[in-house]
Amino acid sequence: MHLIIFQWLVNDYFCLIFLLISPGGFAFLPFLWLVNVVWFFREAFLKPSYTEQLQIKAYVKRSALGLLLWVAVLTTWITIYQHFRAEWGEVGDYLSFTIPLGIP
Amino acid sequence: MANNAEDIENNMNQQEANRSPDSTQKPQETGVPRARSRGGSAAGAGAGTGGGGDSGGGGGGNGTGPEQNGQPPAAPTPRVVEREEEEEDEELTLKYGAKHVIMLFVPVTLCMVVVVATIKSVSFYTQNDGQRLIYTPFPEDTDTVGQRALNSILNATIMITVIIVMTLVLVMLYKYRCYKVIQGWLFLSSLLLLFFFSYIYLKEVFKTYNLAMDYITLAIIIWNFGVVGMMCIHWKGPLRLQQAYLIMISALMALVFIKYLPEWTAWLILAVISVYDLLAVLCPKGPLRILVETAQERNEPIFPALIYSSTMVWLVNMADTDRPNRNSTEAASPQQEPQEAPVASPVPSSPSQDDGGFTQSWVSQQEHRLGPLQSTEETRREIQQMPSARPPVEEDDEERGVKLGLGDFIFYSMLVGKASATASGDWNTTLACFVAILIGLCLTLLLLAIFKKALPALPISIFFGLVFYFATDNLVRPFMDKLALHQFYI
Repeated sequence: MHLIIFQWLVNDYFCLIFLLISPGGFAFLPFLWLVNVVWFFREAFLKPSYTEQLQIKAYVKRSALGLLLWVAVLTTWITIYQHFRAEWGEVGDYLSFTIPLGIP
Repeated sequence: MANNAEDIENNMNQQEANRSPDSTQKPQETGVPRARSRGGSAAGAGAGTGGGGDSGGGGGGNGTGPEQNGQPPAAPTPRVVEREEEEEDEELTLKYGAKHVIMLFVPVTLCMVVVVATIKSVSFYTQNDGQRLIYTPFPEDTDTVGQRALNSILNATIMITVIIVMTLVLVMLYKYRCYKVIQGWLFLSSLLLLFFFSYIYLKEVFKTYNLAMDYITLAIIIWNFGVVGMMCIHWKGPLRLQQAYLIMISALMALVFIKYLPEWTAWLILAVISVYDLLAVLCPKGPLRILVETAQERNEPIFPALIYSSTMVWLVNMADTDRPNRNSTEAASPQQEPQEAPVASPVPSSPSQDDGGFTQSWVSQQEHRLGPLQSTEETRREIQQMPSARPPVEEDDEERGVKLGLGDFIFYSMLVGKASATASGDWNTTLACFVAILIGLCLTLLLLAIFKKALPALPISIFFGLVFYFATDNLVRPFMDKLALHQFYI
């Protein structure tokens, strides 16, 4: 897990940027990437450019990419699960954390 | 309770006061944005109308205007300058005090709303499962009223004893510089809170709304929530996110208390804790006061981990202590103890002597930063015990802010939550308690502006809250019911 912290003096701004580029075990953090994208979007794309901005842009883009990937995966899985849960019988129950009462 | 709202701007006021004699040399007509330079300048022309005009609490300021006009345009006597400085000081204080009250209203309200909403919708937190905390071993479903009263008194006594012991342990650890232990403790308890309690919360919410959830998705959700929470609270993160996390943790903790504390015990504990808070913070030998003073002597922040701060604070010139400072202003050593919650925020990489950049970025970014929050049974005490004092020396030219300890949030929410859970007057009582707590908070902040030192935030609010709760439940509600019954509208 790489933790990258940028502290820039940019246009008289001090901005602290932390992006988590997570290969390996810590790859399961779409929320963090969402925070990155939302937080640094303004910094990366809407500000007049400065030298370090390219790097920030790259990282924001990577975070956004990871986020999109995760959103796709999760949406797919949740859809499948909710749809087929009742039909899977035992496996469905085993996977379930809460089982709704009543008739599905 | 230890949470004290402390005015960060104290030192700023001092600085302002110190600077104003210099600023009096400027001609009045320039309309100095700082608007404080109505101190009679050598030109002596302008009353501080400019200054008095744009401050909210500037009643006093305006009042002195004509006086200055009447003065001869000679250099004001030192006494006059001093008086003006004091007035400016007061004006500043009052103006910022008003703003801070609003800044604290929002998070406190949010926390209470979350707690009340959960209590109303998720029945888990009002069910009596027969489980109790180990700190309150005596049951309250006894045969006689006397027995019940006795049990609740015993429970409250045990609880408060535990709290006192915890506080003392904490103060001792702090005094003897066992920072690692404290940080580890805080880290563990926020871990527990962010993962375990939120897991339970989610489970109950899903059960209530009868939704299916699989372990995989749940694991991902909890993992994300927890990890980002730990990062935001103990390290760095966007201010709003940090504030949101602190509010959520306070709400979670308050919910736990509401569930596991039996009724009479809860009210008693609230009352006793307010008294304890008062004593601990104001008495010369009180543990919290010792803590605050020690921190001030050492020029260190006091556990930003447990404190909600309404603005971001830059720590400049941190005292060189044996514990690494999070916001080290030295560019050379960006050592960050991940566990040390900073109240400070972005660490400037370039030498931070660039004050101009500071102020500008600060003003333009306007971020709020929250300290981490802790809330387990154990750390709750700490939280409460934790005054939110900030050594004035550390702050340098940033926005003023007020800090409120997380224990305060927890107990306020607990009061309102309990009121909504068990009151027969239902929404009337809940709203009454809510208003009472906000009034108490206002008064506390007012006192803070006047006294300018760490104050306990619990006593006034809890006192009002309790009074309003019992009065509304027992007096107002039957009254309203009777009126409605007889169709008599007032």
